[in-house]
Amino acid sequence: MSNDGRRKFLKGIGLGSLVMSVGSYGVVANKPTTDKKSKHYAMIFDQNKCVGCTDCEIACAKVNKVPKGQFRMIIEDKTDPKKPRERRMVRVSCQQCVEAPCVQVCPSKACHRDNLTNIVTMNADDCIGCLYCIVACPYNVRFVNEETHAAENCNFCENTNLKEGKDPACIEACKYEAIVFGDLNDEKSKINRILKIKDSLRMKPELGTKPSLRYIPAVRLGV
Amino acid sequence: MDGAMNFTIGFSEGVVWGWPIAAYLLLAGISGGAMIISIVTRHFKEEVENSPLTKAGSLIGFVTIAFGMVFLVGDLHKPLYFWKILINYNFHSVMSIGVIAISVYIPLTAVMFFYAFEKEILKYFGFLSFVAKLLRPLRPYVEFITLWFAIIICAYTGFLISVLVRFPLLNTALLPALFVVSGLSAGNAASGIIATKFFKEDMHSFDMKVLHRIEWPIMIAEILLVFMLAVSLVVGNEYQKHAFLAFTSNEFGLLFWGGVVGLSFLIPIIFNLLLGKFTSHSRAVYYFTALSVIAGVFCLRMFILYAGQTFGI
Ligand code: SF4
Ligand code: SF4
Ligand code: SF4
Repeated sequence: MSNDGRRKFLKGIGLGSLVMSVGSYGVVANKPTTDKKSKHYAMIFDQNKCVGCTDCEIACAKVNKVPKGQFRMIIEDKTDPKKPRERRMVRVSCQQCVEAPCVQVCPSKACHRDNLTNIVTMNADDCIGCLYCIVACPYNVRFVNEETHAAENCNFCENTNLKEGKDPACIEACKYEAIVFGDLNDEKSKINRILKIKDSLRMKPELGTKPSLRYIPAVRLGV
Repeated sequence: MDGAMNFTIGFSEGVVWGWPIAAYLLLAGISGGAMIISIVTRHFKEEVENSPLTKAGSLIGFVTIAFGMVFLVGDLHKPLYFWKILINYNFHSVMSIGVIAISVYIPLTAVMFFYAFEKEILKYFGFLSFVAKLLRPLRPYVEFITLWFAIIICAYTGFLISVLVRFPLLNTALLPALFVVSGLSAGNAASGIIATKFFKEDMHSFDMKVLHRIEWPIMIAEILLVFMLAVSLVVGNEYQKHAFLAFTSNEFGLLFWGGVVGLSFLIPIIFNLLLGKFTSHSRAVYYFTALSVIAGVFCLRMFILYAGQTFGI
């Protein structure tokens, strides 16, 4: 973890850790720590399994105290009207970019990458409401919270459920295992096992944002 | 995959950065442009006395950037927290870099204002004469630094929005150049108006001739940059092709063709080039075309911001 890196550095163990801690704290502040033990949380949305019940939306809003009528995540119904029986749901939420434009542009570092978890998250108190992050996000998944007047995004419940050692609210709420959450840097995690055997996509990868959300597209049966 | 693996809902609707930002971009451009022109002209003439153009340039430079800041800060959702930028600098953010540049530039324009109006100021505030004495020898250096910062201010307003990858019309390297050039054009027009209207500059003085001379190369550069911007979208990828529709859409076509092309290019061309023989001596025509140019530059900022944010990827 990044804290370990700092401790080692303080003990003056080696040049390697010096480079590491500079890498993670200074020059490339936007990049996640590359330390082996650091986290890279990610999420899979499986279109084959989602039924569109919206339980996840409700749980998310409740746990994260999202004002009524606003959302950190929603499920968009992208079913082709010509094929109403082939239901297609898509999760809309922050893609947790590894190269996050929102973090890069925020002038007050309110939108930042958390030191411990590497999750793109918010410090509402530091936000001046310039909306730069909102126009910078290529996925348009940030918004100004009407109560805090600060911009925010889905941060995998970093400061709520995750801090309490629980899974993100949407994961807890989903009865169909349509969303899977885990650490990509942990070889044995469930998310890695699934990604190894299933094909998944990332949204707009051509933009170079390196999103952490993976989507498993629905397979058409009986073609 | 049926092309269904994509989402089209967004959490922030419509144009997020609206007209106050466009106004800020215009005012910053005028400030930088007017400052550049007056400093360069003064240097070129080896001016000793403060000419009307120098006075106009430093007045405009100072007042417009100060007003611009009002729009910029006023548009924040939490304006009272503006100071957070000043303590939490993010050197990766163009906005932070811009705020640093502005915090140097505004005091510089204030000093430039002091230089240009030294006599007038000392008449009423005699006790400031020691400040004048201190500042006087520094004038060439202050002018030099201000010139650079004026260019930086114009360019940074372009960089500010050209980093937004979601909007092809904004996300182009041409934007900073376009903003410098259009800033010069608006600054030129504003300087001419203020110099003749308030500082009794003669319509046919040397300085006014300079302003008229440089008007054309600036306009040609501006036309070229707008043209290149449009072409780069037409020949670009899917997203860029889509964004090109902004130029032809009903919604923004008028803003572009009427506002940008009409007000900032056609009107000055018609009145100065074609009808020049009959109208070039008329004050009214000069003010009319100069105001038209400024309005046109505002339309350019509005078009870029609004159409840019409407035709996203
Ligand atoms: S999806 Fe948007 S809000 Fe989320 S990390 Fe990427 S740029 Fe930031
Ligand atoms: S709105 Fe807030 S979080 Fe977003 S860029 Fe501005 S200060 Fe940062
Ligand atoms: S709770 Fe699960 S099944 Fe229901 S909408 Fe959310 S992801 Fe889909």
